[in-house]
Amino acid sequence: MDMKMIEVQSVYKSFGSLAVLKGISLDVAKAEVLAIIGPSGSGKSTLLRCLNRLEEIDKGTIKIAGQILVSDVDGVSHYAPPAEALAICRQTGMIFQNFNLFPHMTVLQNVMEAPMTVKKVKKSEILPEAEELLRRVGLFEKRNNYPSQLSGGQKQRVAIARALAMKPDIMLFDEATASLDPELTAEVLKVIGQLAEEHMTMIVVTHEMGFAREVAHRVIFMDHGEIVEEGHPDQIFSQPKHPRTQAFLNSIL
Amino acid sequence: MDYVLEILGPMVDGSLITIKMFAIVIVLSLPLGLLVSLLRISRFKPLRFAVGTYIWVMRGTPLMLQLLFVYYGLPFLPFGGIMLTDMQAAVFAFTFNYAAYTAEIFRAGIQSIDKGQYEGAKALGMTYMQTMRRIIIPQMIKRVLPPISNETISLVKDTSLIYILAMNDLLRTTRAIVQRDFDTTAFIVAGVFYLLMTLVVTFVFERLEKHYAAYEG
Repeated sequence: MDMKMIEVQSVYKSFGSLAVLKGISLDVAKAEVLAIIGPSGSGKSTLLRCLNRLEEIDKGTIKIAGQILVSDVDGVSHYAPPAEALAICRQTGMIFQNFNLFPHMTVLQNVMEAPMTVKKVKKSEILPEAEELLRRVGLFEKRNNYPSQLSGGQKQRVAIARALAMKPDIMLFDEATASLDPELTAEVLKVIGQLAEEHMTMIVVTHEMGFAREVAHRVIFMDHGEIVEEGHPDQIFSQPKHPRTQAFLNSIL
Repeated sequence: MDYVLEILGPMVDGSLITIKMFAIVIVLSLPLGLLVSLLRISRFKPLRFAVGTYIWVMRGTPLMLQLLFVYYGLPFLPFGGIMLTDMQAAVFAFTFNYAAYTAEIFRAGIQSIDKGQYEGAKALGMTYMQTMRRIIIPQMIKRVLPPISNETISLVKDTSLIYILAMNDLLRTTRAIVQRDFDTTAFIVAGVFYLLMTLVVTFVFERLEKHYAAYEG
């Protein structure tokens, strides 16, 4: 399996005068699980958000499943036409730290919303699929509850089911467990682990080093908008080469 | 009591004019206000400016003046004046005036929705229009119900301004009766009528708030 699902080349991104991404390049292969670690403000979340165009880059190239989302034309980013860019981004699903569930819809409605609105799938078609997804994340019994009636871990599992309902090829996790208690974190990590076993291509921005080590095939350490070090989890966590990686890992372990 | 029964007929007729005005204006001004609020936050700057100017004029001049202008002024516009009946003129002026106020309420409601809702929708592949229609506006409606209820109740009473166009609404009818009979009982009856109308409006909005109370957020 050598096919590249994500190709990022020399991506630059600034917020005003603050350079957040300083020439990032990375590839993610099909069925690969990539963990991105690093201190807050290192640009790891921004990088993730650039992959589905929640942020627009200033310079560089991003390809998703071989299709060009944005390319570099004379040093300026040039995005695919809106409809095409939207279609390219639809191949990714994203999970947020704050869940971003739709509070005015029940759990089941949250899961069915995007397929019905975006893909125009009939309710009768999506209903069994949505119920099956909720069973997979262990929340079928909660299908008629509103998000406000759920725990954080349950909310995040609904968010995962909701993203999966769009049948993405790639899942992006943006600190999915950062706002959860430890015991709720475990139930979410279990679901992400299951996805890895099913060979979902994933990028996981995380503070959960144990999880990164266990599930990821490759780990990237980012700091100050640059990729400082990358390698196999065992190598990164046991024998980090770069002093900044060592300092970071020492500070959190 | 006999006197009250005697004046009731014309007062009910007046109330029907008031209710008709109210009903038409509310049905037209709420959707128009929503449209205006969406234009007000559009990314297209000239559009934002034009809508901002419209809202400024509507909120910055008396409704009475707008009413008089539409009825007496529009027929004399330089390029093809528009002649409206009193009812048309009143509906026109009220609708555009109330749309300006409700637009600002809708805008505040839309802007109070968490940015994460847009991101969640976008990450699912929804377009801006889909996001507004399915995610943002439904949540906004819940939040703006109390201020919209205020505006709606104001409208019930503000319709009395149409007396200036010699339309026989509830208040003008009442005044005519008082001046004819030298008896102020009609004022009290009119007050009761207005209270009944606003009671219905209050009841409808309470039901709506209960409906939206199903979820938090």
